[in-house]
Amino acid sequence: MLSFISFSQPTDANHYGSTRHHPDVEHDSLMDLDDDLGGSRLTCPGEFITSSQTFMRGHGTYVDQDEVIASVAGTIERVNKLVTVRAIRSRYNPEVGDLVVGRITEVQPRRWKVDAHSRQDAILMLSSVNLPGGVQRRKLESDELQMRNFFEEGDLLVAEVQAFFSDGAMSLHTRSLKYGKLRNGQLIIVPPILVRRLKSHFISLPCGVDLILGLNGYIWVSKHVKDIDQGEQGLDAEAVYSNKNDDIDDATRMAISRVSNIIRVLADYFVPLTDMLLLEAYEWVIEQEGDTKDILQEDMSDALVAAISARA
Amino acid sequence: MSSLSKAEKSYIQSSLLSKPPLRADGRALYDFRAVALETGVAPLANGSARINIGRNAHDGGGGTEILAAVKLEVETVADGEGVDGGRVVGTVSCSPAAYPHLPSGALDDLQHDLTSVLHDTVSYLEKKSWLLNLDVIVLSDDGNVCDALFMAARAALWDTKVPRTRSVEYQAKKAGNNAEGNRDIEMDEEGKSGFDTRITKKVTDFELPDYWDEGEILDGRNIWPICVTLNLLPPVFFLDAALQEESSIPLRLHLMFSLPPSEKPRLQTFRLLGPSGVDVPLIKSLIKEGEVHARSIWTALDAKLKDEDIRRNQKARDRFLHR
Repeated sequence: MLSFISFSQPTDANHYGSTRHHPDVEHDSLMDLDDDLGGSRLTCPGEFITSSQTFMRGHGTYVDQDEVIASVAGTIERVNKLVTVRAIRSRYNPEVGDLVVGRITEVQPRRWKVDAHSRQDAILMLSSVNLPGGVQRRKLESDELQMRNFFEEGDLLVAEVQAFFSDGAMSLHTRSLKYGKLRNGQLIIVPPILVRRLKSHFISLPCGVDLILGLNGYIWVSKHVKDIDQGEQGLDAEAVYSNKNDDIDDATRMAISRVSNIIRVLADYFVPLTDMLLLEAYEWVIEQEGDTKDILQEDMSDALVAAISARA
Repeated sequence: MSSLSKAEKSYIQSSLLSKPPLRADGRALYDFRAVALETGVAPLANGSARINIGRNAHDGGGGTEILAAVKLEVETVADGEGVDGGRVVGTVSCSPAAYPHLPSGALDDLQHDLTSVLHDTVSYLEKKSWLLNLDVIVLSDDGNVCDALFMAARAALWDTKVPRTRSVEYQAKKAGNNAEGNRDIEMDEEGKSGFDTRITKKVTDFELPDYWDEGEILDGRNIWPICVTLNLLPPVFFLDAALQEESSIPLRLHLMFSLPPSEKPRLQTFRLLGPSGVDVPLIKSLIKEGEVHARSIWTALDAKLKDEDIRRNQKARDRFLHR
């Protein structure tokens, strides 16, 4: 029922002894960037990268006494003379065309503010949503008055990044039947860097579970719905902005929990998520016949990650 | 992440009410997430503990993390500050990093709320002979703060060592009195001065015979209460709600139990939070069931604390050997 564990202790008393150096003692070779371009090199904050005489500093670096120094932990990237460090853990950096999952934080005149795990709240204009029933017309004043019927505070939605405002905030749109309000499931949050760009971010697993992998690290795990692309006209007009869940049977609920736990474990071990990987992980978990909550146990999750990386 | 959409709320609620009940991460209703605990984390405090509920097993991120520390302070009873017999002051502060969505005013309210719960519950006991500052910091919140708060507080108080004291009395010579037998050994060796204007002829103070790390454990170590939160979604309830579950239920019942092994169980405080209501017979049965769960938390926590004591003694011995 209730189990206590310990915080992990450094196992070795001389844990740091072998790796600690004074910066001056460290091997003195000036980093030859051309050598390292093939493989990605990791930096620590404060690590010397190269001389500022020959290179320009980009994001994630600063210059101190003619040296370009990393300010974040991440991978070094170089474009001609520009050196940047891409942070491993950061907020989501939006790009136009990205699929994101967000949560409404505020309703404002003719627009919604959306939390999308970015540095600023995203904005969803009233003019960039579909009206229920798919009618195409200009938005009227009466639509403005009933904005909360479309989305209200706390609602989750899937959308696409449409453009950027001058201050860098992203503008979203949901003008496709694939996009819109989310229901019938639960949200998992992972570091954004773990979601790779895929052919499709709408994944449906054979266990009756749909996944929406938002590039901002928000992942929606829900019950499988009939393919929307097939019968566009047959879609229930009111269902787009509905707050009511469908009937979900216990097996599906179980599967949703299981998939969520798998994603949590993979994120915990910092494994980038792809559709194939999730599918294999799910099959592995089914083979083990364990309880859903056991996936989060350390030995089980160790085994899961080991099995996945062996297959990949 | 305080607000959830209606669809999410109803998904969580209907999962809980289904047969058998399901939770987001597959736990049963009365299961806790793994609780990590360590005592003696703050070297300058008299007792301290760190607790984390539901952290990731691998990289150690996430979860509700709480740090509790006990600092003893000496007070003078005469100037109105101190109370004879000692007092306990509990304070909870919430790190803004734990609640990035809350404005500072709301954070203050939350701090005040948690402080009043903790303070009112622990200071009732009055077992101390010092001013005992119990400071608790909420470093991150992933649900079930209240239970974690009391576990951390109990662990820190369990860990607290009170320095042994010996009272000392200084006595000035009475002018013109040569009676040798009356003198204290540590008497002020002042010459007879005609200008001695001190009114008090007697000064009392104390000294610490011990070196700093030693001391006695706090009296009444066994009676510090723990909290068990029953998250009610009639007709069921569940324990250790995650943040999302917490915001989708109508009612919460905090029960603070003190369960010393030899005495009768004591219900120190209980409070009911949320917009809806419950009737008295239900509360009675909930308290009964809560006691059962509280007891299992209590036993597990005690066992863990004893383990920690052993581990730290072992560590100290090792360090001494390798010196």
